[in-house]
Amino acid sequence: MAANKQNAKIHVSHLKKSFGALEVLKDVSIDIYEGEVVVILGPSGSGKSTFLRCLNRLEDITSGTVVVDGYDITDKHTDMNKVRENVGMVFQHFNLFNNLDVMGNMVLAPTELKKATKAEARENAMRLLRRVGLSDKAEAFPAQLSGGQKQRVAIARALAMNPDILLFDEPTSALDPEMVGEVLQVMQNLAQEGMTMVVVTHEIGFAREVASRVIFMEGGYIVEEGTPDEVINHPREQRTIDFLSKVL
Amino acid sequence: MIVQIITTYGSLLLRAMGQTLLLALCGLFFACILGLIFGLLSVLKSRVCNAISTIFVDVIRGEPMIVLAFFIYFGVPQLFNSILRIPMMLSALQAGTIALALNCGAYMAEIIRAGIQSVDKGQMEAARSLGLPYWKAMQKVVLPQAIRTMIPSIINQFIITLKDTSILSIIGFPELVNTAKNVVANTMRSFEVWFIVGVMYLIVITILSRFAKAMERRINRGRE
Repeated sequence: MAANKQNAKIHVSHLKKSFGALEVLKDVSIDIYEGEVVVILGPSGSGKSTFLRCLNRLEDITSGTVVVDGYDITDKHTDMNKVRENVGMVFQHFNLFNNLDVMGNMVLAPTELKKATKAEARENAMRLLRRVGLSDKAEAFPAQLSGGQKQRVAIARALAMNPDILLFDEPTSALDPEMVGEVLQVMQNLAQEGMTMVVVTHEIGFAREVASRVIFMEGGYIVEEGTPDEVINHPREQRTIDFLSKVL
Repeated sequence: MIVQIITTYGSLLLRAMGQTLLLALCGLFFACILGLIFGLLSVLKSRVCNAISTIFVDVIRGEPMIVLAFFIYFGVPQLFNSILRIPMMLSALQAGTIALALNCGAYMAEIIRAGIQSVDKGQMEAARSLGLPYWKAMQKVVLPQAIRTMIPSIINQFIITLKDTSILSIIGFPELVNTAKNVVANTMRSFEVWFIVGVMYLIVITILSRFAKAMERRINRGRE
């Protein structure tokens, strides 16, 4: 997938994030372009999930600049709800709305935010559910689904807002091993269709096959970045080599 | 004779039970509103809001309801009439409703806070990540789930409030206990009268808690 360099979808410069006295992101700068699939690897505690959550400001940003889709989200006056409509997020623990069935999960945001009429939203939801192979589950409640099914619904729910960017926060880490494949398959299809994606994961295989760029984070910094071949097969930094030797 | 008391004073006591229920319903109605307001204030990401809620809950829970009732029924009108020179009067029903609403509202606020906090915070995050504003997310996603876990405690609190109306006999509201005291004064039949009153409370509260159980089962069915 050739990235269009003219069009930085996400621009991050000198991002810092502290929780109280603990500085989790120390100085992170990166540009992410349209159609790119950026996979972030790193040991736990490296700040990779926090980094992702700063991109739609689920975490308040301590300092630095983050521009998403043309909106400066470090500016207090930016309407974050508007930005988030175009930036979907998929969570480790799915976070499907437990009080609503699958269809209810899919249509809530599009109808409440007047993106679509009820009928349009339902039609679009059915189309997306077919795409993730779950059209027979529209009436099911989250508690009746397997982990893999929940995560596929969560992806479909994010797609229902027709976002420009999708953020994935360890989307397969809470899944039983036999369900990881179905979720990665859906993500791979999305990548091939040109969706701009930022993925925090431990799935090295996915990074190798699907990523257009791999970033290795540790200790609140980006230690190394490059193509999957550069970072995974021929890492230059000792810390990357140490990490990969443990997970491969 | 119990039968004699019932035939002579039965309708009076039944009407008094009606007043008890009226007072309880008025109190509960406003308690729910207060509870929701202060419960939500306590979960907002604002120190000022949290503090307001904490102060309300702590002050009200730190006072016996009888003191609250005296203060509202006698103290507040005196403040207005003698000190501020603004004419003001509260009926026993109004004062009683305020006292009950404040007292029960403080406990409801705690129940609602705990209920909201029991909902996984990922639910709110997911709703916000789709672009839903905070209050929409609260209303459509978090509160519906919180209410399910709150229902047993809310019903329990309703029953406590119904029983607490008896305290308000002290400000002269003609609810069941107050009326029963008058009947005892007329007849000198303490045993019979208080036995009848006891049975009346028991019946109403038993019906309420059965109803509550049924409702709880209905809400929990099908969604798990």
